[in-house]
Amino acid sequence: MRAFCSSFPVSADLPEHGEALPPRGERPQDLARLLAHPALWRAGRAARLPVWPSGFPALDEGLPGGGWPQVGLIEILPSRLGVGELSLLMPVIAAVTRRPGARWCAWVAPSLQPFAPALEAFGVVLDRLLIVQASRSGARPLSLWAFEQALGSGACDVAFAWARQPCPRQIRRLHLAAQRGSTLGVLFRSRREAEQASQALLRVAVEPLEGGVRVTLLKSRGGARGAIDLKWAARAGPAERA
Amino acid sequence: MRAGESADLFAPDVPERPARPVPRKTVTPPRPVAPAAAAQALCAELWLGVQVVVGEAPPAQEPSSALTRLATLALRLTPRVALAPPDGLLLEVRGSLHLFGAVEGLRREMHAACEQCGLRGTLAFAPTPLAALTAARAGQPLAVLDAAQLIGRLSPLPLTALRWPPRLLERLACIGVRTIGQALRLPRAGFAQRFGAAQRKDLDRLTGHAGDPRERFEARLRFRRRRELPFELDSRTALLAALGPLLAELEQFLEARQCGVLTLECRLWHRGHRPSRSTLRLAAPLADARRLEELLAERLGALSLPAPVHACELRSGLPVPRVALSGGLWQPGEQGGSPQAGAPQLIERLRARLGSEAIHGLACAQDHRPEAAWRATEPGERSGEGPGACRCAASPLWLLPSPRRLPERGGLPRYRGGLRLASEPERIETGWWDGAEVARDYYIALDSHGRRLWLFRERSPPHRWFLHGVFG
Repeated sequence: MRAFCSSFPVSADLPEHGEALPPRGERPQDLARLLAHPALWRAGRAARLPVWPSGFPALDEGLPGGGWPQVGLIEILPSRLGVGELSLLMPVIAAVTRRPGARWCAWVAPSLQPFAPALEAFGVVLDRLLIVQASRSGARPLSLWAFEQALGSGACDVAFAWARQPCPRQIRRLHLAAQRGSTLGVLFRSRREAEQASQALLRVAVEPLEGGVRVTLLKSRGGARGAIDLKWAARAGPAERA
Repeated sequence: MRAGESADLFAPDVPERPARPVPRKTVTPPRPVAPAAAAQALCAELWLGVQVVVGEAPPAQEPSSALTRLATLALRLTPRVALAPPDGLLLEVRGSLHLFGAVEGLRREMHAACEQCGLRGTLAFAPTPLAALTAARAGQPLAVLDAAQLIGRLSPLPLTALRWPPRLLERLACIGVRTIGQALRLPRAGFAQRFGAAQRKDLDRLTGHAGDPRERFEARLRFRRRRELPFELDSRTALLAALGPLLAELEQFLEARQCGVLTLECRLWHRGHRPSRSTLRLAAPLADARRLEELLAERLGALSLPAPVHACELRSGLPVPRVALSGGLWQPGEQGGSPQAGAPQLIERLRARLGSEAIHGLACAQDHRPEAAWRATEPGERSGEGPGACRCAASPLWLLPSPRRLPERGGLPRYRGGLRLASEPERIETGWWDGAEVARDYYIALDSHGRRLWLFRERSPPHRWFLHGVFG
């Protein structure tokens, strides 16, 4: 295992450099304690960001930190609208809205009408939802403005937005707003825009499978890369079989 | 007289029934009537007279409206304010003395209020309104708190401060009467005969021997203020800056009433065009000028101006009592911080820009028809209906606003290519009682892109196919 340290030159390659570690006689549990230091960043493992468990253990393993980040902007790029990108997020929406003292879960400019009975069947607490109908086209991108307001206000736990071709500068702005309001921002974009550079923490492509989805991590800071196949459970919320 | 006695007198044959207890008239002993002086001592009044002169800076509006503004500001100090046109103001401040730091504190507050209106004022305190006003008009900042000292302190003041007709004052000067004290020493009957009963009455009111009721000043119910701009503006930032003083006045107006507004209309006048209007609707009563300005900025941003603006006006709706909430110590989301702290601001800001119907919450409704199984609610409103009735075996996360007709080939629906039905039909047949009857068989279908769609087939003869939802 290779590890890098950002602040001081300690290598974790214990078999080779173990003797060099001050003081002598470090035991593995001491090393684990050392590695748990928040100032220490190891490549291959993201910084310890607070996360929401995704509800799919196989996906949690691949995601940096073991879940969706609690703060910051992530992008989800489905191959088509409705291939399963929303079902993928349902466990986290349900968990976040059921928390005591939950903030809003804002949906900015959703493409279609979210169907309340289905959301309720997934265990989502409906009175924490805030639907913002903003025009997605037109001269002034009001949906992005509304999304930024929702992210930066600090009144939302999660905010979703369906935006058409946001430019990298706008994405950076949204990411900063999400950090300001300590909110998870989820931006749904077309799969065709995967080639564009983006400041988002995490970029995830979603393709349909028979009875599930294939999640491809296009960009994840310190997480794994590659595809993860998830299967929905028959009913009562998609459970997971990798 | 008791009921039993009356029965004996008028109906002696009626056997005597046990008399019901009748409440006896109780004789209350006469209350000791307090002498007038004692009653006055109990509710002694203290009046603050203000005589204003226009300050160095020329005011934006006429003096009379400046006086009204000052009276509105003075309502913060006491509810009993009376106008004494053209340049006087009277405040009954006995009850306010201990609230604003006695005479000195009240002087400070009132001078600050005068300055705010662009006026300079002379303030005098006295137990009668006319005495306070006269002392202020004489330019003497007296503070007479005790009625016993009143005549002694008033005596040296010149009679001109009473603003009697000049000819009368001349005649008084001819007999050597120039001060109030000298006038008070003249015999009553003779004074009334020679110089007028009204003047004698004035002297009585001055010393408190006659009552002096004053009409109470009532502030306007709604806020309405127009401002002519020094030059025409078309930049929205400059316009907002021009509205700033009006908003600050609105805040004072609302603070004086401990109220907030729910609606606020902003009108902008142009040359050769009808005025542009923009109305702000708020979720909760609001009086904070800064937040109103933020919301107005969003509203103005959405407004298209046909021409530069030469005047602007703010009109409030009816003020609504405001419930003041204690502010949180922590930021929202922090440990112990209220999670809802930023929520009303977010919703108001979004509504200011996007319109109030663009922001809503979701709730389930008691209906089996998918299009009626949900409703838009006020954000955060808890639906008291419990879980929805729409308990379909599988319901999609996305619903189309209205079902979309699908083309068919060989009795099977198509949607951008062939569709494969992936489930048994589920029948929904209801609503015959309200005219929107549905009789449908719902299917789940897979399209060529691997999406799961929610289709239905009408049960009535044309048997058309519709797309109604996407599983997402």
